[in-house]
Amino acid sequence: MANPPTKEMPAAIQLDTATPISVSVRNVYKTFDTTPALKDIALDIRRGEFFSLLGPSGCGKTTLLRSIGGFETPTSGTILIDGKDVGGIPPYGRPTNMIFQQLALFPHLDVYENVAFGLRVQKKPKEQIDGRVKGALALVRLEGYERRMPSQLSGGQRQRVAMARALVNEPSVLLLDEPLGSLDLQLRLQMHEELRRLQRTLGNTFVFVTHDQGEAMSMSDRIAVMNGGVIVQLGTPEDIYERPQSRFVAQFVGHTNLFDGKVIRIEGSRVTVESDGISLAATTPTPVELGQAVTVVVRYERLGLGAGDTTLRGNVAERMFLGGTVRVVMALSGGRLVTADIASTAATGLPAIGEPVALTFNASDSRVLVA
Amino acid sequence: MSVLAATALDDVGSAAQRPRRSLNGWSIALFIYATAFYLFLYGPIAIIVLLSFNNSEVTGLPFRGATTHWYEVVFARPDLMSALFNSIALGFISAAIATAMAFFLGLSFRRDYVGQQLVLGLVLLPIILPGILGGIVLLIFFGYLGIRPGLYTTVLVAHVNWVLPFAFLTLNGRLQGLDRAVEEAAMDLGARTHQVMLRVVLPIIRPALVATLLFSFSLSFDEFIRTLFVMGYDRTVPVVLWSAIVDRLAPELPAMAVITILISTAGSLCGFAFAARASKRQA
Repeated sequence: MANPPTKEMPAAIQLDTATPISVSVRNVYKTFDTTPALKDIALDIRRGEFFSLLGPSGCGKTTLLRSIGGFETPTSGTILIDGKDVGGIPPYGRPTNMIFQQLALFPHLDVYENVAFGLRVQKKPKEQIDGRVKGALALVRLEGYERRMPSQLSGGQRQRVAMARALVNEPSVLLLDEPLGSLDLQLRLQMHEELRRLQRTLGNTFVFVTHDQGEAMSMSDRIAVMNGGVIVQLGTPEDIYERPQSRFVAQFVGHTNLFDGKVIRIEGSRVTVESDGISLAATTPTPVELGQAVTVVVRYERLGLGAGDTTLRGNVAERMFLGGTVRVVMALSGGRLVTADIASTAATGLPAIGEPVALTFNASDSRVLVA
Repeated sequence: MSVLAATALDDVGSAAQRPRRSLNGWSIALFIYATAFYLFLYGPIAIIVLLSFNNSEVTGLPFRGATTHWYEVVFARPDLMSALFNSIALGFISAAIATAMAFFLGLSFRRDYVGQQLVLGLVLLPIILPGILGGIVLLIFFGYLGIRPGLYTTVLVAHVNWVLPFAFLTLNGRLQGLDRAVEEAAMDLGARTHQVMLRVVLPIIRPALVATLLFSFSLSFDEFIRTLFVMGYDRTVPVVLWSAIVDRLAPELPAMAVITILISTAGSLCGFAFAARASKRQA
């Protein structure tokens, strides 16, 4: 998913506890009429971090972003930007700039004037405006498009204008509200790289809202997964993917087989779970008790055709060629379906639809979720 | 009814793209109907234009040769010229007031508030209220207040009252269609409320504003019934034309009518042009 860094990209910023906090959200609640949109949100975003808010639509991620930008007023709680409480400060007084979902370029202004807008309303001197606008357009590789109107640009070019328009103001925090949603896949992947490059070059804090887990994973230093107005898990992409703490995260991030069952054996962190008469070996991050109801999470790509701690037998119900992988759906004897993504190179011996097949996985690749 | 005319024009445009059908009984009937329709619609206007050049002391056919004499008469008569000036001045002022009011009303309609439907109903009421009733109501109203009739007092109020609903309908669509995110983006980039208005909202809706001004001007320029009721000494063009017919034979009347038609349609046509530009921009 993530493209390997090219030469021009500086190395990723090392984030640790010594990095100053850029945005601090403390116990923020937001209620629209009677509908709660944010419930006790608390998080610290570090300076220079690429931070994503990931979740399904209506989970509150955009409300949280708009609260940071000053477009929504939290019902209670505080938001600090660069250590300063921004409560009551309107959007034009905050060191943030936002890239809007529909981009919201000014239709009556050309590319140059769109980018210059922020500097003009702040009454910066003319020479400075010209230099910075040209610099910003160069940054997003749009030199030569100064006099085009937004309606004469392609989707990707509009995207770049929106970025230049926000970045020219050198915001401490750049807020991005699903700005890539309207682009086709190829262009989106290109923009991912572009965003990452910009963020590393400039070193601003990026707060990125998306419902696309692939997008969040490939770009972010850390991700907050949101659902129903709360943060359900916060961590690095690896954390979120490898160590989901809830059924919701396991299913929302990546493709996952879930097996509900009971713990029947415990050997340290390794447990055996019985689910519908099948024994599954798994690793548990938290202590569990015998007989406890748990869920075993196995990612599609962690299932294979070779030897493993657990072997599941059934018949091939469906197979789909996905390019790098082949997706196999196997029906167990009880009728339930298990899906595996097998590397295309390893899938040569895969049985045809209707034929028996055995899928295996190791205890280290499966994980126990408690309740 | 400029607004209705605009939709009618759209219909004509789309009809031109439909495939041609072969001639049968129905299409012949339709052809005759359409011909008659346009004949009755534009025939009288054509005849007025023709009569305005008729070298005859009596308004009417037969045509006794072409002359520009009646136009000279019109331009030589101070009462007709002052009526023309009155109508144009009044048209511009009432258009400006109605457009400004429509703009602020439209802005207020971008938020929901209690009584919004009532306000909308009151603004649109003059459209459904018969002109003669409107005139009487205004006359009584001004009588109670003790306001003496005058061009820039009672007549102006009557015109704004008549023009406002149309101005509102013309402008409101554009205002409601304005993407709120564009304003938020401006604010996000550092613009204060007044800067958002001056640098973003007004420039974007400018074509719609100009169109509204021109439509409003045309409507005010043609207004007769309400004006008749609340008028003082200064007359407007429609009132002068009317009294000319009532009082005496007026051979210069067709020439005056043609001038009126030209001014009024010029306003509306420019309005259409700007409205088309506005909707193109919105796309």
